[in-house]
Amino acid sequence: MLNRSFIHWLGFFFACAFWLVIPLFSSSKSPADEHVSVELVAGQNAVVPGKELWLGIRFALEDGWHTYWTNPGDSGEAARIDWHLPAGYEAGAIQWPYPERLSTPPFADYGYGHQVLLMVPVRAPAELREGQAQKIGVSVRYLTCREVCIPGRKELELSLPVQTYAGASQARKLFDASRSRLPRPAPRNWRTSVLSRGDEFLLNLTIGKLDKEPEFFPLEAEQIENASPQEATAIPGGIRLHLKKSKYLLKPAARLKGVIVLGPDRAYLLDVPISQSGGESTQQN
Amino acid sequence: MNRNLIHGLMVTLLLISSAYAVKVGEPAPDFQATDSNGQGHKLSNERGKFVVLEWHNNGCPYTQKHYESGNMQRLQKEWTDKGVVWFTVISSAQGQQGYVTAQQENDYLKQMKASPTAALLDPQGEVGRLYSAKTTPHMFVINPAGVLIYDGAIDDKATTEQADIAGAKNYVSQALEEAAAGKPVSTPTSRPYGCSVKYAH
Repeated sequence: MLNRSFIHWLGFFFACAFWLVIPLFSSSKSPADEHVSVELVAGQNAVVPGKELWLGIRFALEDGWHTYWTNPGDSGEAARIDWHLPAGYEAGAIQWPYPERLSTPPFADYGYGHQVLLMVPVRAPAELREGQAQKIGVSVRYLTCREVCIPGRKELELSLPVQTYAGASQARKLFDASRSRLPRPAPRNWRTSVLSRGDEFLLNLTIGKLDKEPEFFPLEAEQIENASPQEATAIPGGIRLHLKKSKYLLKPAARLKGVIVLGPDRAYLLDVPISQSGGESTQQN
Repeated sequence: MNRNLIHGLMVTLLLISSAYAVKVGEPAPDFQATDSNGQGHKLSNERGKFVVLEWHNNGCPYTQKHYESGNMQRLQKEWTDKGVVWFTVISSAQGQQGYVTAQQENDYLKQMKASPTAALLDPQGEVGRLYSAKTTPHMFVINPAGVLIYDGAIDDKATTEQADIAGAKNYVSQALEEAAAGKPVSTPTSRPYGCSVKYAH
């Protein structure tokens, strides 16, 4: 009896000790770490002088947690990155995969759940000595939200050797998957136009038959109401999307910019002048 | 079938009406709410004064940015000293982040040295939905005639970092300064940034 109660207390003691110790070990982590892991990865195993190198920030999110697209929608914030590159390197812009609509009634955000790789093209300088290690660093500031939001900041680093040829890295599959989710330029044979009518933009997509209703994601904030349903109606040779204007749109907008998603991995960039009267114009690619 | 249709229509109508409930340049919708001291407030009773509405959630990192830096308190003090009515509005539903009892809110105001005219408790989200308050913070400015003259972010640096406050353009102060000088508000709307308002589901 006594023995048993002693073991019981011993267990209790260790449990308490654990509770005290765990926070000590995890104190270097930010609270966002519990729900997301952030990694710097390269698409190839080496830097080739003068050539393009693809780097990526990989977010792996716990179920229910999200991070955001370049236009986060009604709330949230897109990730921001600052590179710390060796001399002579030039980093391009983040290539944002098309997002999913995150509904937070009566509003909507645009972002990613589960996993996303934000790819960035980097140009290596032409004069690099073979075999030299290249240290690449990045500061990432990001927001992850479920019902609540937690900001995070990470300093990440990786090292790649300089070689005359580069092979695929272990992360290559992630890059391929992310690349297939990048919006592509609209096909040349598409005819698109936007008409401003009352409290709606009518986006006319003369792009042939579609299997399902497309979804439009605005690249600019304050153009359309993010949470409003995008009603689709048939027009000759295509489809018309009814996009409700944002109440923050006080001046007439000149162009509607965004991504149209026709199905999985079928996303296209749109940048269409908005006409007030109703003429049709072909998109300039 | 029919019932579903009617229900759908009603929901659509509600959505449409709520999306356009407030618009800059139009009269700000009237509301009544109770503050953390149990006192009632009615917007239309404040005619003749500028009114600022500040949506608030003390657990939200964007709200914390502006309170832990003292920025929000500075704005509250500066503008209420000049006769502006400042309502902090809390629309978090019970059980959601940012929900507070009257006592908790009073303790918070004291601890943070905050000095809004009043902190309005809106756990049903009625005032929040009336104004389509999206984020914390989300700021509104109403002129002495009761017309909405600003709807949007607190400033132009949509981050959680306190260091960004110094170089930010504060849209609320700008709207108040310009309107008080009889000028049109140069930035009457902006995309509000922050956490989503934690409305009851």
